[in-house]
Amino acid sequence: MTLAEGLRNPAFSIALTVAAYAAALALHRRWRSIPPIVVACVPIVAALLLLREPYADYNRGGSYLTWWLGPATVALAVPMYRNGLALRRSLPRLALMVLAGTVVGMVSAGVTAWLLGAPLPVVMSTVPKSVTTPIAIEVCQELGGIPQITIALVILTGVLGASFGPALLRLVRVTDDRAVGAAIGSAAHGIGTASLVRRSEMQASVSAWAMAAAGVFTSLLATILALFLRRG
Amino acid sequence: MIDFLRGLAIVVGIFLLGTGLHRAGVPVPGGVLGLLLFYGALLTGVVKLAWVERAARLLLHHMVLLFVPLTVGLMDLGPVLSRQAVAILASLLVSFLAVLLTTGLLGRWLLPNVPEDQGAEAGR
Repeated sequence: MTLAEGLRNPAFSIALTVAAYAAALALHRRWRSIPPIVVACVPIVAALLLLREPYADYNRGGSYLTWWLGPATVALAVPMYRNGLALRRSLPRLALMVLAGTVVGMVSAGVTAWLLGAPLPVVMSTVPKSVTTPIAIEVCQELGGIPQITIALVILTGVLGASFGPALLRLVRVTDDRAVGAAIGSAAHGIGTASLVRRSEMQASVSAWAMAAAGVFTSLLATILALFLRRG
Repeated sequence: MIDFLRGLAIVVGIFLLGTGLHRAGVPVPGGVLGLLLFYGALLTGVVKLAWVERAARLLLHHMVLLFVPLTVGLMDLGPVLSRQAVAILASLLVSFLAVLLTTGLLGRWLLPNVPEDQGAEAGR
């Protein structure tokens, strides 16, 4: 069996992906600034290009991993529940803040891309970019976008939020731990949340709650948008 | 291990319930529908946090692995991406700042009147 034949076997591409991911995690542990998702993809893309294997062949195994994004979305209820308990008193206000941010974010992303002449599928791919990957993918598909563009945007947003979010908020004098957490969670989902863990427990737990809430709001708003699009 | 498997079975079961309801006509996507059902089950105590904590932690901890295959798919999108790069990157920056500032500034305005929640002293 040649390598190229092996790659067509779903088990092989799953193993390849897990190995690449494990290597990326190890690198990430040593050099914190290297995002694992980027490093994990490089050897896989290189192998596919080198062997002239089409993506579709690799993805026959890959789609088994993608399927688990659904249960991962469901699992988000756990941090949402756990952190919601500690935040009971400010929860309605936090929900309002996250909802406002979500609406502004979806509209501003879509309108900016549209004004700059992007075709409709690309515009729709930008709309869910602030929320956690599994929800963003679901929403993107619902709106007729291109999931890969959404994923790239989701990751870039997360890296932006983790790198510059706290400093930008300090610049506009947002200092309340709950406000910082809510802003980072809505704008930069899990990547932003993870960056807060070492700064402040309060910020991180509000952020985890906000990221799940932003995902739910985005999905519900997109559902309404999709119903209009289908009718129109 | 049994603990973990039970948790995983609950999470997957709720996901399948969510996708089933979605297919039956509920317009919300299956994963988010499952999230809401699961959240409701935790709030009402139908599902206990201890049953599902380990399975949920594993799924969330290794989520990056789960979107590697889709991200590899970017290799087929090179032409679309380079043609639309300006629109995509501008949309990214504008929307990122819009969300961060809307939520953050609203919080500056809304939150000082609300007493600190428990655990707030865990902050910096």
